[in-house]
Amino acid sequence: MTKKQLISIKGTKEGLVLRLDDQCSYAELLEELTKKVSDEGFEGQAEVLLHLGYRYCNDEQAKEIINCVQQTEHLRVTKIQSEVMTVEECNKRLLENQSETYVGIIRSGQVVTAVGDLVVIGDVNPNGRVVAGGNVFVLGRLKGIAHAGANGKRDAVIAASWLEATHLIIDNVVETMTDELSVLSEHPEMECAYLHTNGFIAIDRLQELRLIRPNLSTFKGGS
Amino acid sequence: MGEAIVITSGKGGVGKTTTTANLGTALALQGKKVCLLDTDIGLRNLDVVLGLENRIIYDLVDVIEGRCKIHQALVKDKRFEDKLYLLPAAQTTDKNAVNPEQMKELVSELKRDYDYVLIDCPAGIEQGYKNAIAGADKAIVVTTPEISAVRDADRIIGLLEQEESIAPPKLIINRIRQHLMNKGEALDINEITTHLSIDLLGIIADDENVITSSNKGEPVVMDPSNRAALGYRNIARRILGESVPLMSMDNPKKGVMSKIKSLFAK
Repeated sequence: MTKKQLISIKGTKEGLVLRLDDQCSYAELLEELTKKVSDEGFEGQAEVLLHLGYRYCNDEQAKEIINCVQQTEHLRVTKIQSEVMTVEECNKRLLENQSETYVGIIRSGQVVTAVGDLVVIGDVNPNGRVVAGGNVFVLGRLKGIAHAGANGKRDAVIAASWLEATHLIIDNVVETMTDELSVLSEHPEMECAYLHTNGFIAIDRLQELRLIRPNLSTFKGGS
Repeated sequence: MGEAIVITSGKGGVGKTTTTANLGTALALQGKKVCLLDTDIGLRNLDVVLGLENRIIYDLVDVIEGRCKIHQALVKDKRFEDKLYLLPAAQTTDKNAVNPEQMKELVSELKRDYDYVLIDCPAGIEQGYKNAIAGADKAIVVTTPEISAVRDADRIIGLLEQEESIAPPKLIINRIRQHLMNKGEALDINEITTHLSIDLLGIIADDENVITSSNKGEPVVMDPSNRAALGYRNIARRILGESVPLMSMDNPKKGVMSKIKSLFAK
């Protein structure tokens, strides 16, 4: 009986695709992979996409596999794909994509934090702080400090019915509302702040947000 | 069973003690039995404003540490028969001499005998503040039309809203100078109330007599013709559940002729 191939290599336009078997043991797979990489006479430079199938690898194992492939300088792993994730990861993702709602006024000294998006129905008073892993939306006057994309989500936005915050923070970029900006916002009604490609925070009318961040809209279908 | 109302502001010098003294007096004038409780241990003033300084024998800390009975420490204001009492703060120790649990017990004991227990809170949000609000059922936040006072009021309202045993706080705007508001140089009443978004309990005009009468140890509210006194009396009536419209802040010294003129000017 011939042994089943644990690793299949396919060439595509983007580079090599290594499809790893997801039923055999991890040790077996690693052994086979080491053999395959050293046996096969690779030439030049190839980018590799690793496809793990339904095998779950933790970070350490993934690193091990990458190291194994990159033993030869001809291969470079660009991406690992897997069909599975842990419950923990899944819950974290769910939280990150969730939107939390706070109803009430956020007063001086108060901090309201959300893992995902944060919707505030009420004002954020001076020295009040809202922090969100995702976007910040304020249905009211934003007069305090708003921090969006707190975990590195650089495309997060801050939008408010009345945007007159003292500080705007997106990811780790801080913008204090200087005179220049407040000139722009003489009527700070229905405005949004986002991280411009120049690395600074920009403020624009809320109507422009659809063009600036087309992916923000999750609404599908409709007529 | 009476109710305990804490009078607080966050910022110092906006008129907590004056407000406590005057509201207490106004409530006593309305025939209610009132106890004023000074919790500013170490920096007591309420006794001075009421002119009761030299009648203090025991104080708050004496009561809490069991050196005397409550009724021994209470100072009666003889001007109001049997209606107004003061429990003075200690002056020789500091705010850490008392803890919130003890205050709660003390206030609930006072509530049994009095219709209103008004608690004068020290400035700040530390131990003294925590002691002052411990036994309160309601809260009054005092502010003035200054940005700094309004910011601190905002902070204190946020803290008060987190206390489940205290009803939503109400606002008194003190020291209103109408001419500055008219010129737009001071925050106006509308701006302050929309910013803080809590119920407005009353407004008090800035009046020199408040200072002079405090210095004499006679709360200004005893003079019925004074503008600030009227403000305090109105607030007392609102506390008692009456609905009293906000007083006009325009200068009352306008003559009859100028009133007629202003009618035609429209």
